[in-house]
Amino acid sequence: MSHPADLRPETTQEAAGMSPPVTSSVEPVASLKALGRGGMVLAALGGLLLTAMMGLTVADVIGRYLFNAPIKGAAEMTEVLLCATIFLGLGAVSLSDDHVVVDLVTDRLPDAIQPYRKFAIGLFSAVVLFVVAWRVWIYAGQIGGYGGTTTNLGIPIAPLGYFCAICAFAGGIITAIVSGIMPVLALFGRRRTDRAQSTHDKSTPEG
Amino acid sequence: MENWPFGMAVLALMLFLGVPISFALTGVGLVGVAAIIGWTPALSLLGSVFFDNGRDYSLSVLPLFLLMGNFVVQSGIASELYTSAYAWLRHRKGGLATATVVACGAFSSVCGSSMATAATMTRIALPSMRKFGYPDQLSTASIAAGGTLGILIPPSVILVFYGIMAQQDIGKLFLAGLIPGLIGIIGYAMAVRLSLHLRKIDLPTEPKLPLLDRIRALKGTAGAIVLFAFVMGGIYFGVFTPTESAGMGAGGAFLLVVLSGKFTWASFLSVLYDTMKTTAMMFFILFGALTFSNYVNMSGMTGDIQNFLSVFGESRLTFILIILCIYLVLGCVLESLSMIMLTVPVFFPIAAAHGIDLIWFGIFVVMVTEISYITPPIGMNAFVLRSVVPDVKLGTIFSGLLPFVVMDILRIALVTAIPGLVLFLT
Amino acid sequence: ETTLTVANWLPPSHPLVSELIVPMTEQIKEATGGDVVANILPAPLGPPAAHFDFAVNGVADITFGVQGYNPGRFKTTSLVELPFLSDSAEALSVAYWRIFDETLREAGEYDDVKVLAVFSHGPGEVFFKDADPTSPDLMQGTKLRVGGGIVHEIVSALGAVPVEGPSSKSYELLSQGVADGILFPYESVSFFKLIPELPIGVSVPGGLYNTSFYIVMNKAKWESLSPENQAAIDSVTGEALARMAGEMWDRADAAGLAAMEGQTTITPATEEQMAAWTEALQPVFDAKLAEVSETGLDGPAIFEALKAEAAKVDISK
Ligand code: NA
Ligand code: NA
Repeated sequence: MSHPADLRPETTQEAAGMSPPVTSSVEPVASLKALGRGGMVLAALGGLLLTAMMGLTVADVIGRYLFNAPIKGAAEMTEVLLCATIFLGLGAVSLSDDHVVVDLVTDRLPDAIQPYRKFAIGLFSAVVLFVVAWRVWIYAGQIGGYGGTTTNLGIPIAPLGYFCAICAFAGGIITAIVSGIMPVLALFGRRRTDRAQSTHDKSTPEG
Repeated sequence: MENWPFGMAVLALMLFLGVPISFALTGVGLVGVAAIIGWTPALSLLGSVFFDNGRDYSLSVLPLFLLMGNFVVQSGIASELYTSAYAWLRHRKGGLATATVVACGAFSSVCGSSMATAATMTRIALPSMRKFGYPDQLSTASIAAGGTLGILIPPSVILVFYGIMAQQDIGKLFLAGLIPGLIGIIGYAMAVRLSLHLRKIDLPTEPKLPLLDRIRALKGTAGAIVLFAFVMGGIYFGVFTPTESAGMGAGGAFLLVVLSGKFTWASFLSVLYDTMKTTAMMFFILFGALTFSNYVNMSGMTGDIQNFLSVFGESRLTFILIILCIYLVLGCVLESLSMIMLTVPVFFPIAAAHGIDLIWFGIFVVMVTEISYITPPIGMNAFVLRSVVPDVKLGTIFSGLLPFVVMDILRIALVTAIPGLVLFLT
Repeated sequence: ETTLTVANWLPPSHPLVSELIVPMTEQIKEATGGDVVANILPAPLGPPAAHFDFAVNGVADITFGVQGYNPGRFKTTSLVELPFLSDSAEALSVAYWRIFDETLREAGEYDDVKVLAVFSHGPGEVFFKDADPTSPDLMQGTKLRVGGGIVHEIVSALGAVPVEGPSSKSYELLSQGVADGILFPYESVSFFKLIPELPIGVSVPGGLYNTSFYIVMNKAKWESLSPENQAAIDSVTGEALARMAGEMWDRADAAGLAAMEGQTTITPATEEQMAAWTEALQPVFDAKLAEVSETGLDGPAIFEALKAEAAKVDISK
């Protein structure tokens, strides 16, 4: 499922006359250019995790089917990779403020209150993520306390939990800034421009 | 224990104020559980929900099916499918719109998401339909409706979620979706004719292609057919399991990208980034829904709703009608994935208690969810269309969708009357 | 009146729920004269593996589960999971509880909870889609579905290829031919609807493996009960509950075996097979008992005591 915000208009090259109606090529789903350096690091890390997850299944199936030699612990490695991907991806969602919302009513609220609404929601979301980070951290400590591992390879689980907790905490901070604080800052920025604009208008009535 | 109506009200309020669905569900679920068992255990349950369910092997199919769909988009298969479908339908009235519906169905067999199907087909089909003078009302509607097939024709992300929540075999759910999906294509093709008839639209047709040319045009479908056959055949012949088919499908789709000569590192990386982002988005909604359903579980809501529904009698048909109405109403205002997450934990035990086959119920739920993608005011596929072509009014898209919604309801009626249409392949 | 919340991750019709957990709550109610009642939650609170911590943290008051779902946490569990121990879940469960009560507690693995019972499933046998059941190389090179833990190691030691997957995926793996066979007790073959897929079964004297279970209670909740109610609950849990659990599994296995009639042919393992397997599995015994000894207990000695105790238990009651 792709979020509508990702879908920008694409120009489709059309063929003429009797030939089939389209010969378009489809652009990549998201553009990485807008991400900046943090996004690139995220993309590289997440890409590595996803590629590993895909490669693991392919190698396991081929090994098992052709050589009677499946990869030991393929399922549990997939689980570890999945968990890491989810929490790492939280950063990506927060960076572009792509959390799914019901905008049925909110779009009809007056523009003036929107920044404050976004501020309150951004902070609420951040608090939820901080609580999640805190509890996953505690839970990881509990699992570490009894030496919890994966089933067949004995990979310790606690470090994964700490990683997820850190990601959730970072996700909370990014959400607070991007979804909560930036809309308000933008508002103050606009007010200053407006004020400057109106002063300018008075002094030069013909403009 | 009887505080769940209050919890539901707070949740609804938060959703309408624009709190992200994932965080509203998590927040209300956490506070609700805490009100029942106290803060210390409620908080430790929260840690378990977010960390344990993130390590569920069965859920690994989600990112991998998403990845498969994104690779398929990149490989250019979609436009080839459209070209082939058009070669067969160009001499018919509204042939391009029908070809769009057929190509959407074909694309759905390699893509697990409705919005991705709609988004992809918009870029490919809309410019051609505009060029041939199709009214926006018809062309946008045929794409938005055709796109909903993405979650019914396997693979399907929504069926995976349903299977996990209702503990049903995902392989069987996939098979069960095939025939209703084919009926859906036929229904939408009829909806295209119906639209032309109702609105008295006359559209240009092209001369019929000779059979040989039409057969030659099928060449373009080879990539999609090979990938679909690889995934379903691999499952059927026991080379890999439905769970593994996601990873194998992603691998196969990646191979198609490479073979099509469209591989670049930049686009590869952006496909991976997009997949990771969508994965996180969906999982945090899932975690929120699970937190919330723990609250539902402890609050006794399931039993209360069961008692409420029993007022209407024990008949299966009555129950299905009530559920249909609830979903149609919810589907108007809720985003589709969240709707599934919110309702399945409540309804599937009741369906089971009514002796309804849970595979059938899964397909039923997916079909009503399909409608939610195309009904106002929250219709995600209409939004997708709108975001790609901002000059079309949402009202235009929704009004064009009406004949398609009618066909959807007829299809649900048909499948309810003849459950074998769903179950006979499983 | 105190209400105990019981977390459940199985369908209500599963014998572990209907013939053990439900009767247990009834007995607790009866023994406490109605002072302590139980409420079994209608839907799972989380995955099975999370249930021990649910009791530790007070998310629910009573939880049950499989120690093996938390790898690394319970090192003493392998004692009861090793091969060739007992044909009766009841005998093994009672012996397991007695040994647990006497010595295994000292390993400290259950210090965070009040243990109501530990017990064992019935013996695990081996089933195939297609095989010559008397062949000395029965397992060699076959793909066998395994969950985790000891079964993985047993299958590997016997020369088979372990195919990993949760038990709920067994049907998927077998019906589609990804796996050639499975190690399961009779009850599970029937419960997961695998009988039509598995025409060949080989029964192993004493079983090829066992699965250890726990039923535990939140400690604070336990301590909040009056001494009279605590004594009343103790009288219907512990050895009595372990015995009831063993009986329940033995009944379920018998029902599973009966359901196989005419569809799955069960052949006892030959002496030649048993000799080969005993030898091949020795390294697994050594490794697992060494792991038990890591907790400070004498692994091999306790294992012998468990075997002797299981042989002594009177299962005619
Ligand atoms: Na699909
Ligand atoms: Na809708």
